[in-house]
Amino acid sequence: MTAPEYSRRHLRFGWWSLLLFATLGLLLESLQGFKVRAYLDVSNETRRLMWTLAHAHGTLLALVHVIFGLTMRATPPTVMPHLHLISSSLIAASVLLPGGFFLGGIAFYSGDPGLGILLVPIGGVLLLFAVFWIARGSSARR
Amino acid sequence: MVAFAAGLGGLALVAPGPAALPEQRVAGRPVQVPSDGYASSSSCRACHPGQYASWHGSYHRTMTQVATPETVAASFDGVIVDNVPGSPMLLEQRGRRLSAVFDDPDDEVKGLAPESDSARPRRIDRQVVMTTGSHNQQIYWYATGNSRVLGQLPAIWLTADRRWIPRRAAVMHPPGQSPMSETGSWNGVCVACHTTNGQPQLDTPFGSQPILTQVADTRAAEFGISCEACHGPGEPHLHANRSPLRRYVLHLIGRGDSTVVQPMRLNPRLSSQVCGQCHSFWEFSNPQSERRANAHGLPYRPGDELAETRFIVQPTKNLGSPAMQAFLAADPGFIRDIFWSDGMVRATGREYNGMIDSPCYRNATKDARTMSCFSCHTMHKTSDDARMIGEWADDQLAPRAVGNQACLQCHARTIQDVTAHTKHRADSAGSSCYNCHMPYTTYGLLKTIRSHQISSPSVRATVDTGRPDACNLCHLDKTLAWTADYLEKWYATAKPRLGDEEQSVAASLLWLLSGDAGQRAIVAQSLGWAPAQQASGTGWIAPYLALFLDDPYDAVRYIASRSLKTLPGFQAFAFDYVAPQTTRAAQRIQAMQIWRATRDGRIPGRAQLLINADGSFNAEVINRLSRERNNRRVVYRE
Repeated sequence: MTAPEYSRRHLRFGWWSLLLFATLGLLLESLQGFKVRAYLDVSNETRRLMWTLAHAHGTLLALVHVIFGLTMRATPPTVMPHLHLISSSLIAASVLLPGGFFLGGIAFYSGDPGLGILLVPIGGVLLLFAVFWIARGSSARR
Repeated sequence: MVAFAAGLGGLALVAPGPAALPEQRVAGRPVQVPSDGYASSSSCRACHPGQYASWHGSYHRTMTQVATPETVAASFDGVIVDNVPGSPMLLEQRGRRLSAVFDDPDDEVKGLAPESDSARPRRIDRQVVMTTGSHNQQIYWYATGNSRVLGQLPAIWLTADRRWIPRRAAVMHPPGQSPMSETGSWNGVCVACHTTNGQPQLDTPFGSQPILTQVADTRAAEFGISCEACHGPGEPHLHANRSPLRRYVLHLIGRGDSTVVQPMRLNPRLSSQVCGQCHSFWEFSNPQSERRANAHGLPYRPGDELAETRFIVQPTKNLGSPAMQAFLAADPGFIRDIFWSDGMVRATGREYNGMIDSPCYRNATKDARTMSCFSCHTMHKTSDDARMIGEWADDQLAPRAVGNQACLQCHARTIQDVTAHTKHRADSAGSSCYNCHMPYTTYGLLKTIRSHQISSPSVRATVDTGRPDACNLCHLDKTLAWTADYLEKWYATAKPRLGDEEQSVAASLLWLLSGDAGQRAIVAQSLGWAPAQQASGTGWIAPYLALFLDDPYDAVRYIASRSLKTLPGFQAFAFDYVAPQTTRAAQRIQAMQIWRATRDGRIPGRAQLLINADGSFNAEVINRLSRERNNRRVVYRE
């Protein structure tokens, strides 16, 4: 896959992802607005936190994809090594991080999120990996 | 420059106010300092938000609070309270400090009618530092200036009526006695149940010498009845569960956590004892255990066998025990002030004593079918409970226990045909399990509550003990003979031998006119109870309640006036039950005028209600029954 193709891939993923998580945000606001107890009750505080984190991480990561796609266009392909790994890691992180938070809020144990939360640290490591290589590539001399 | 100024302004908005003194350094009142493995409820909140929230909304939390402008229910803004013995009490708020100026209840000349200035009780100005209660009443405690010993203000706040009343008028107490001092009671007594892991830390045994010569370093893990009062010390639980691995293993296998007590997982006997540690009438087993408790607090921890560390007073079981005989020798009212003569508890706050004498507990052989406090109550509002938290907090009933479902947990077969069992319409108050098996025969805090000893209506028990039976607390216009007839006809219950008046005069009137103050209070409340009014009619009630607006007991007058206000035409009736006798007499006349003005024509003659055929009252019998009133001194250990 060429650099412009990666750029298009992340722009496409970023914008669709932004649509998805902005929609989730709207849904959460609706749950607030209609005072849905399954979301707002104090006993569901963990769910509220987890879904809020899912929305926040998903939205921010969507923007990261858009920025990464634009960065690719501004950077010569030669300075960004491991492009395939970076791209895959970033996409996986964008699925695992918000997905883990979201699943962790569906079924939970009082103050502890559900087992879906186990996806979050994996996503976090993949995100760090991708960001490190992007940062390194951006710092390299042309 | 502008940004800098804006930044400073922003900081000012988020900066905390003046730093509060660390609790350990607070003087003049007991302090809340977690120790002995206790960690305080704030440590529980992060992992148990739902449970924390429902506890936070409960009256258990607010049982004891540090007095602040936010926690006091009454206004302290230059308020003058006349309803106190001696000179009026002045309440003031100075900044955040709450103060009271009043006659010193510990002054030697207390209670004497002042004939000269020198005989007047000493006036004192004290800081109000603590509160007790928030549901029915709020009591205020001041710093005496002696170590952490607290004194009690001479008036308390009556929550429902939003008014101050003299301390004495808040409890069932014989009239005509001198004002009482409660100085030191908080440190020596209240601390045990109104805090979590309370420790009086008195230097000498409580009551062994004048309290103001004792030194108290009273402290508690937390004020109010908090998480650890029922779950035990939380520090080991907190420490162990820092590991997420441990937590998730426990979540997944669904087993209880051994580092903390979960009352719901204890057997019904032990789980009920968790409530019984406070909701029971008990005594120290020996002077040594009392001294230890005076110094270091009670040794009981949730999950322990309660009777190992204290003597549970249960006249039906241990009346003849040497310990009980010793208590009775020291105080003849030891049982009488708490129990009916057959051993059923009659004072509120002692529900455990009633519950363990119930057949549903006493005769149960399997844990799954043993009644416990948790059969009906829940300390945490459940997510399927649609009630507002304030409504749930009133009695902390589980949703399943709001109606007959509570009993159907075990008695589903008996109750398949409700009417066949109750002989009342299925949707009527007469088909409520509670109304027949848990009537309002316990008294405390100016009201009656349901007996927590499950029993069946029995005229025999009523005749033997004087305790009003469930049938006649609803059918207020019927005689005991009428009840006995129906109980025999419907349930083959043998009829006891009844006296002439028990056969001819409504039982409620016999208790009201001739009963002791406890019986009068119970019937006075029933006269204002909607189901009883529906069953018995209301046209005849007002004159009888009006009679008790002049009862010698404050509590009876209060309940009578409250019931009176439930009657048509009396909603706006103003009666001050602690006003001077002459004022009360005038208000009583006014009550009769209202009754005459609102009644619908002549009331029909009804012999059992002592109403003659011409609508007049049978004054001769009423006066005779009143003269026969049981004037024994009634004190409840409320």
